[in-house]
Amino acid sequence: MRASERSSEFVAFTSAHRADLVRTAVLLCAGDEAHAEDLVQMTLTRIYLAWSRVRRADSPLAYARRSLTHVFIDETRRAHRRRETTMADPATALPRTPAAGDFVDDHGLRDLVLAALAALGPRQRAVVVLRHWLDLDVAETARVLGCSTGTVKSQNARALAQLRGVLSHVDHELVLGVSG
Amino acid sequence: MTSSPDLTRALTVAADAVRVAADPAADLARGRAAASARSRRRFRVALGSLGVVAVLAVGSVTLMEDPPANQSATPDPGVRLVAETMDATPYTFDLTPQGWSVQGQRPSAVTIAPDDGSTSEHPDDFRGKLVILFDANPVALGAPVERSGRTFWLRDSDDYTTVSTETQPGEPDGVVRIQYPRDAGWDDETMVRFLASVHVGPLAQHGLG
Repeated sequence: MRASERSSEFVAFTSAHRADLVRTAVLLCAGDEAHAEDLVQMTLTRIYLAWSRVRRADSPLAYARRSLTHVFIDETRRAHRRRETTMADPATALPRTPAAGDFVDDHGLRDLVLAALAALGPRQRAVVVLRHWLDLDVAETARVLGCSTGTVKSQNARALAQLRGVLSHVDHELVLGVSG
Repeated sequence: MTSSPDLTRALTVAADAVRVAADPAADLARGRAAASARSRRRFRVALGSLGVVAVLAVGSVTLMEDPPANQSATPDPGVRLVAETMDATPYTFDLTPQGWSVQGQRPSAVTIAPDDGSTSEHPDDFRGKLVILFDANPVALGAPVERSGRTFWLRDSDDYTTVSTETQPGEPDGVVRIQYPRDAGWDDETMVRFLASVHVGPLAQHGLG
């Protein structure tokens, strides 16, 4: 295909879907917007290089979301990011857990959700985002992460148990509990 | 197990608060730069292959006319592994990368840096170095390579390649990996050999991530 055609299609795709990718990346990065932006830039660069495959995909956006997840997993494995991950103490990153019945507004809820995501391991967080934000089924989540469906189920169960511990206290019009 | 609508809505609240500044022109510029860099790399590889063919051809002719002693047509492999034991407790290696030394060792990771001082002196700064990692994450991401009855998985990530394999019987369960920069003279075959020479001791611990 012509370079100008690839460029125009890529710009149209980016204009339409970049915001979606950034929001997903922010959840994967537990609110670290700078890291999320880095991931999206890397993902879009890969997308550009593979555009001939992307444009043939059933859903270019789904392709991009899978690429974003792969970039995220790759990054968590890269040693220099790993160092920051291993040095973080999730327990100290959590904001004060609200007492039962405490009212939490959207801003407070966002902080709470992101802190709860930060307390999860990267792959558990990826499972939560793929299953509950992108609404992928277990089989597709396993395929994206390169693991078994059993691993996805167990990671999901552990992640939900941890999230439930934080979010079930919240009195918010959007969140009254976290079910499996 | 189905997706939780409550959790989905909570994630939506968290994600929707992000202010997104879309700049397709910058993304396009990065994509074009990466495409140009890839083309240049492929061009250099093609030139290198032609050079190797030329060296081999000349070497063949020379051997036919007057076989010299101690001459090899093998191209320079870049960084070499030598058959010396390298200790980085709780990890030991049957092979040692010539000109590289252990800079940092922990139960979950070993850092190996070049002796030429071209990288940071801090063991936790892994840029430009070989890093051995041990963890309990799944191994199967990337291209599989069989060697000596074991499977090694190769996966590229920007400027780095990671080779992963499961530990051997008698070693702590887990996955041992080596991450190496692609611009430091290493190649996949050498790294697979190096990783295959690693012995994981009982004091090794899984890293996070």
